Amino acid sequence: MVRHLDARAKCGAGHSLLDVMKSLLRFRFEVIVFLFLLLTPLRMAAQNRIDLVFAYGSEKEEWINEATAAFNRLGAKTAEGRVIRVQGLPMGSGECVDRIANGSLKANLVSPASALFIKLANAESRTRTGKDLVGDTENLVLSPVVIAVWKPMAEALGWGSRPVGWNEILALSRNPDGWGSLNAPQWGQFKLGHTHPEYSNSGLISILAETYAGAGKTSGLTLADLGRPEVEDFVRGIEGTIVHYGASTGFFGKKMFQQGPGYLSAAVLYENMIIEANSGKYALPFPVVAIYPKEGTFWSDHPVGVVDAEWNSPEQRRASKRYIQFLLAPEQQRRALAYGFRPGLVDIALASPLDKAHGVDPSEPKTTLEIPKPEVIRAVGQLWQKAKKHSRVVLVMDTSGSMNSGGRIENARKGAAQMLRLMKDEDTFSLLAFNTRVNWAMHSQPLAQGRATAEKTIATLWANGGTALYDAVLAAHEDLQKAPDTGKISAVVVLTDGLDTNSKTQLAELMKAIRFDSEKSNVRVFTIAYGEDANKAILQQIADATQAKSYTGTPENIESVFKDISTFF
Amino acid sequence: MSDEPKLTLFGKLFLLLVLGACATGAWWAFHRHSSVASGNAGETGVTANPPRISSGTTDATGGSATAATSTGSGVTGSVEIGVAYGTEKKRWLEWAAEEFPKTAAGRGIQVNLIPMGSIEAAQAITGGDKRIDAWTPAADLYTETFVREFELKHGRAPIAQQEQLALTPMVFVSWGERTQAFMGRYKEMTFKTVGEAIKASGGWGGIAQKPDWGFYKFAHTHPSQSNSGLMALLLMAYDFHDKTRGLTMADILDPKFQSWMVDLESSVVEFPNSTGNLMKDMVLKGPSSYDCVLVYESVAIDYLKNAEGRWGTLQVTYPRKNLWSNNPYYVLSTPWSDPRRQAAATELMKFLISEAAQKVALTHGFRPGNPAVPILFPESPFTSGQKFGLRVDLNGICESPKGEVIHNLLVGWNNNVRSHEH
Repeated sequence: MVRHLDARAKCGAGHSLLDVMKSLLRFRFEVIVFLFLLLTPLRMAAQNRIDLVFAYGSEKEEWINEATAAFNRLGAKTAEGRVIRVQGLPMGSGECVDRIANGSLKANLVSPASALFIKLANAESRTRTGKDLVGDTENLVLSPVVIAVWKPMAEALGWGSRPVGWNEILALSRNPDGWGSLNAPQWGQFKLGHTHPEYSNSGLISILAETYAGAGKTSGLTLADLGRPEVEDFVRGIEGTIVHYGASTGFFGKKMFQQGPGYLSAAVLYENMIIEANSGKYALPFPVVAIYPKEGTFWSDHPVGVVDAEWNSPEQRRASKRYIQFLLAPEQQRRALAYGFRPGLVDIALASPLDKAHGVDPSEPKTTLEIPKPEVIRAVGQLWQKAKKHSRVVLVMDTSGSMNSGGRIENARKGAAQMLRLMKDEDTFSLLAFNTRVNWAMHSQPLAQGRATAEKTIATLWANGGTALYDAVLAAHEDLQKAPDTGKISAVVVLTDGLDTNSKTQLAELMKAIRFDSEKSNVRVFTIAYGEDANKAILQQIADATQAKSYTGTPENIESVFKDISTFF
Repeated sequence: MSDEPKLTLFGKLFLLLVLGACATGAWWAFHRHSSVASGNAGETGVTANPPRISSGTTDATGGSATAATSTGSGVTGSVEIGVAYGTEKKRWLEWAAEEFPKTAAGRGIQVNLIPMGSIEAAQAITGGDKRIDAWTPAADLYTETFVREFELKHGRAPIAQQEQLALTPMVFVSWGERTQAFMGRYKEMTFKTVGEAIKASGGWGGIAQKPDWGFYKFAHTHPSQSNSGLMALLLMAYDFHDKTRGLTMADILDPKFQSWMVDLESSVVEFPNSTGNLMKDMVLKGPSSYDCVLVYESVAIDYLKNAEGRWGTLQVTYPRKNLWSNNPYYVLSTPWSDPRRQAAATELMKFLISEAAQKVALTHGFRPGNPAVPILFPESPFTSGQKFGLRVDLNGICESPKGEVIHNLLVGWNNNVRSHEH
């Protein structure tokens, strides 16, 4: 070994590379032993760790991040002596249980925002496998689902002087004078936001609460109730005021608090988000308050449980329980309170910031709604499909020559087809393909009749020529704007992979034309910067101007980008 | 100068690195071995002093008995025992599992607590679950059936020794303000008046002109999964027939009783599987979730103070007819019983009925099974809890009915009410 080391030491003093190689070969046994000794501790360290994947509803992301980091720092071990390491995966509540159920996400423990999702997943799992997907659960934290309203608007609705709920909102939404009917014409029409019920807990809870209110019940909702015309009318009346849907409750809250009352009068959010908003995170024009619907609401009770699947070993299951114990310990629970959640540990009293100064009332809610049977929940989803606000969408697709590279056009076609699949028969669809010129490939077709044509048209797009991006966006926007339909969500979805090279329209001109006006212009432009050459800054500017969202797409992720956009409709 | 090769600075560093790597590997391998060896004593890492309790973590082949040490109990060597228990005693038994090994009799005995519902535990033992050496359900309602089925299968009696650990009756627990409103309307809280409140037109609006309180929401646990749920059904039967003993099959099958019971039960908000979880949920979610629940007095006492810091006071009301949950402790005698583990389980039983352990049981709301331990003294929860409606003397205590009566009551409930479950 010493001779070997000396040979290596000498190589720095003028020996050739060949000499060094010869030396290494001569002492290859020693080299192998050395590398083995060097790498063994690293290999053993990796073997001595047990990893847990924790899929959870993103509403509690900040708290879980902090608590998980603290847990991992502790170096807790299993009985077998392996260090437990937890990786948190925040996502939509529906998505996390769906992905675990279909095996595409091999999580060890799960915590959606509501027991509703556990109930649905277990019911489906029992049908499929004869056993529950998730066993016994405990509530990590709690937060009631509330209607977040700007304080002056809440007061106009009666908040602070009498119980307020979905019935007051329905009366306001049905009145053609909007806020004018409550002596506040300057606020225009009432505008509500809640997330898409197929993707998000708060969206599902919203439509269940609307249905209960329509049926005049707080428990025992039946399939027969859903067949009553007045129930569907009630849901349709509320849904008519929806600005758009979306996948994330956090996104809605953030948009509402950033954009102000011109964007949304109210949104269905979690109580903790109101506390967060009133804690100085946003420059709010007015405080926001929580309305606990007088007809009843649901608790977002964040159940946590261990996944009963073959990939979850007994050691991982025990380690998961250890991590759950840690999250339920007083120290972590007190931190949850600081984030605006009601602790899941009864020993901790409710205190600031759970108070009226932060827009919430710890003595509420007065009544809650019963979680319906799984088949009733599914039927409520179908009722919503009928009563929801439908959409008219213009897809603006870049078919310039640069789309030929790297499988861009092929994957963009797949993504567009995916969005089309997620749109409903009651929606209308237009396709505007652009390169040097702007071409209407399909115009305002109801999908009930035009779906097959739309699929075929998308599948036959090919790329050639320059990029008249601004002309295309303006044409699509003008098309929707010239025939406004407040009964539908109007959206332009733009995909482009490059800079504008051929438009007559200037950017400033475009921005002026599309700028969102809550009373006059409600067309939203969602943009996808596709590939490296797209100008992300300009596309973000376009989306921001219309209070929509901008995405970065690649051939690999474009299908999921289109899927996310479709949750807004 | 010698011709022998010499180590340069780089060479020395290299050698140091190799030695360091060897030392690290050796240290790590030794450390890992130690961790695995100590693993049987419970998981470590989160707390400085790892708990000795590991609920349900023994394998199906039974607990392990390892190296010989002498215990003060005559149980030689270290021994692990499994105790199946109803979760209403969780806090007390966790304390006992921690303290018992510190006593002379408990030295070397590790207690594994296995939470199980009464029916679940009876089935597990009859089915040959070798983890369980002792069983302490909330009450002896299932014991007759358990013994009969075990004897049928294994040809021997399953219980070697038994003791009554603690007593607790059933209570209605409701929110102070709402209890007043309820009493203002119905004067007394019985199953009959609770049933009327559940059905009241307009909910609280009809009961007490409080429409914003929603509908009247009552709950008890699932009768097939939790002993307190079965207690609720029995109390309904005794209350309906206005008797305290001699509940018969005819009483249970009486169409009027069945109709009344099904009507009331079909409006129950939820049937959770554990009394502790039900009470915890009531405290966490407040009156929005439950106006009134039927639980063990001990469970109510454990949560009374927690509620005050959240939603205001809770009020305890005793039903007109009541049943004791006597929390029996059974040392099992099965074909696979190990004499050392059986002896250790017996020592734990003696510890649980000792005066010291019974005093701790009292702090968790249990009425001591050991008559030497008083109930009423200044620090007793029964003294401080009088303002919440707690009282020591009870009337209308009913006898435990025969197994066939209990069985038919459950069958009737399962057939007629279960369709209401979600």
